[in-house]
Amino acid sequence: MKKFHIDFYAHRRVYFGISIGFFLLGIIFNFVFGTQLDTNFKGGAMLRYSYSGEINPNTIEDSVQQAINRDVTVTINRNVKSADGSQTLNNVTLALAGNDSLSLENQKTLTATLTKLYPKANFNLVTSDSVNPTMGRSFFLKCIVAILIAFLLLDFYIALRFRKIGGAAAGFFAIVALLHDVAIVYFTFIIFRIPLNDSFIAVVLTILGYSLNDTIVIYDRIRENRRLMGLKTGFSVLVNASINQTLTRSVYTALCTFISVATVYVVGMIYNLSSVTTFALPMMMGVISGCYSTVCIAGPLYVMWENRKSRLRAQTAAIAAPARTPAVPAGSDGSAPVSASAKGSGKKVKTKAKAKKRKR
Amino acid sequence: MKRVKKPVFFIVALLILLFTYASVFGIKGKNGDNTVTYIKGVNDIRWGIDINGGVEATFTPVTTKKATNNQMDAAEATIKQRMIGENITDYEVYTDYNHSRIIVRFPWKNDEKNFDPQKSIEELAATAQVTFREGMEYTTQTTGSDGQPVYKTPKGTTASNIILQGNEIEKATPEMTQDKTTGKTTYVVGLQLSESGKAKFADATTKMVGQTISIWMDDTMISYPKVEEAITDGSCEINGGTNGFTAAEASALANKINAGALPFKLSITDSNTISPTLGKSSLSAMRTAGIIAFILVALFMILMFRLPGVVAVISLLGQVALSFAAVSGFFPWQNSFTLTLPGVAGIILSIGMGVDANIITATRIKEELWTGKTLDMAITRGDDNSFWAIFDGNITVIIVAIILMLVFGPKNILSYWFGASTTGSIYSFGYTLLIGIIGNFVFGVLTTRQMTRALSAFGCFRNRWLYGGPSDVKQMEGGAEA
Repeated sequence: MKKFHIDFYAHRRVYFGISIGFFLLGIIFNFVFGTQLDTNFKGGAMLRYSYSGEINPNTIEDSVQQAINRDVTVTINRNVKSADGSQTLNNVTLALAGNDSLSLENQKTLTATLTKLYPKANFNLVTSDSVNPTMGRSFFLKCIVAILIAFLLLDFYIALRFRKIGGAAAGFFAIVALLHDVAIVYFTFIIFRIPLNDSFIAVVLTILGYSLNDTIVIYDRIRENRRLMGLKTGFSVLVNASINQTLTRSVYTALCTFISVATVYVVGMIYNLSSVTTFALPMMMGVISGCYSTVCIAGPLYVMWENRKSRLRAQTAAIAAPARTPAVPAGSDGSAPVSASAKGSGKKVKTKAKAKKRKR
Repeated sequence: MKRVKKPVFFIVALLILLFTYASVFGIKGKNGDNTVTYIKGVNDIRWGIDINGGVEATFTPVTTKKATNNQMDAAEATIKQRMIGENITDYEVYTDYNHSRIIVRFPWKNDEKNFDPQKSIEELAATAQVTFREGMEYTTQTTGSDGQPVYKTPKGTTASNIILQGNEIEKATPEMTQDKTTGKTTYVVGLQLSESGKAKFADATTKMVGQTISIWMDDTMISYPKVEEAITDGSCEINGGTNGFTAAEASALANKINAGALPFKLSITDSNTISPTLGKSSLSAMRTAGIIAFILVALFMILMFRLPGVVAVISLLGQVALSFAAVSGFFPWQNSFTLTLPGVAGIILSIGMGVDANIITATRIKEELWTGKTLDMAITRGDDNSFWAIFDGNITVIIVAIILMLVFGPKNILSYWFGASTTGSIYSFGYTLLIGIIGNFVFGVLTTRQMTRALSAFGCFRNRWLYGGPSDVKQMEGGAEA
């Protein structure tokens, strides 16, 4: 059977680097282009018509501006496939400037203006969207509150579950992994310049649940292995072994989920279904990140923490009882044998440290 | 290992295949010329407006004062009446009293050729014209979407003689009365007329005792009570004839009559329209995506896990069938659910997530085999060890799926503060995700285990290689490997 022997702990700097790099890229994009909110959240209006023949976007922009006294951006998509394959159509999208909704009268004026400009183009309304800014804002708030509630509930579940598994520290790094995934999904929206919409909320929530389940499975293995491998085993060895054992499952599940979402994305691209692609792309990134954050971020961070803890413990012990306990060389990056020895005498050292405190 | 008899595999697999067939194609019979649907299939799924095409609009009263609950009810009744009159089924209307909003969502009729969303929305928002007319002569009779007859367009005396206008009715209220002799409770609609209405109504009812006065909203007749006695004091009751009204009927009629006297117009704050062609095209694209995704995941599972992979694919089929059944209204006790594009995406996503339970179990079995366990031992240990991991994996996704349904659902705790949301499409995603996870748990654990155990009882399926373990043949030649 194929077994993985990847030293995730030793390569941690590479993984941290990759994540930080992606975040930096996201932050730069965020500064340059800003955060776009979809009309659903900020209000605004958009209309899309199908048409035939030739039209000039600039002429349309000017005429519409005169007719309804509001700036408009016109984009044209040619040869949009319809999925039954029979026909291809040209689409023209009119996005109105500002966050106000468009009254019905103005919508009608707009259609009339187009028909008057190009009587032969046979304009047909494909889809229209007009959202009042107040409604948009309260919807946005509601979504943010939902994410917070989900996050709190999951934290609660983590606290409940990790009391048994790895304690507060493990729970904390599970949360770090979740935040990492939310950040990845957010920056995917930013980098691909997709306006934040209700899909964003759906993707973030799904990934929160998806990623956490991975993390719990791995920490559960760590607990199981601690029993099997004994306390003498170094922490990095323990965590590495656990991650490698669960890796098959993590990767396979992530792969199957990725295959499904990627298929949706590709088909969405072919038929130009923006509502589908803007949902599938961040979901793809989230699925990868959900698997990656657990294996490459949460695991190594947990080892670093535990190593630091035992090193500190050993140092305290060294100061407290230099005569009896052999000093642990400081500055080592917590490789297995060192931490193991510290762990081994952990109990004794702890009592000493406590005794010293009491004396003070 | 608890032995499972060989035929169990065929029974379980056959049941899953039958369930899949029924949930996709439904079960239909012929009763004369009519097709009778016994069990609903994929074709009976109620599609959301993003697939069927349709209109979603939010209406708010144009008024400086906050509209009362009664006024909002009256406005809602107007919109519902118009939907029924237009024979639009599957419309949804949500009234948010706190924020004075009415959200309406309706799909295009199947035979709609000349769809004009802007006109439809405008017609819905138009102020209701309620009239009381002499007689009950009408031009057309059709069947509305609620199954009741719809009488339209007054003619003759009914067209020419208007007794009262909507604004001459101060208020209409549903009331409960009890018959003093029989003790039976019935519901009536009490009317309170304005000063000008009082005089007109007194005149008309004195002349018309024993005749019918019909009540119309716009072009549709909503009630046709008979005048029992002259009403001169400006207050009267409509009692619903011999059978009487139910509580719901009485309040519906009262709301409709009140709509004629609403002190405000409805304005359209938000609107979203989708043409039927765009939606249909998206649906067939998603169908293609779903089939491709299923095939890819199935291939992956079979290549990676061999026999348990085949079992996993059968279970996955059952899971997808459950998703279809959960939206189409397959089970008699359940309502059909509106499926939107994100909802379809949720089904496809759960195809990928859904093999998780199978992957966990199959890898565990594989691990046990490689440590040298016998096949039976490995299957037992694999099943036992994987249960909690599967449980954990599912519970977190279930939490988020429920939250998704709460946030994007039409009415819930959050909408109390933030108002009912106009976007129902993600609600459907939460639902299919939830069903997918439940299906994963039911099929990935229950049926997979029964099938794997039953299969392992066959002599030809005893080779551990089939389960991802070391090949038993090779072992005999080259000695034990593990």
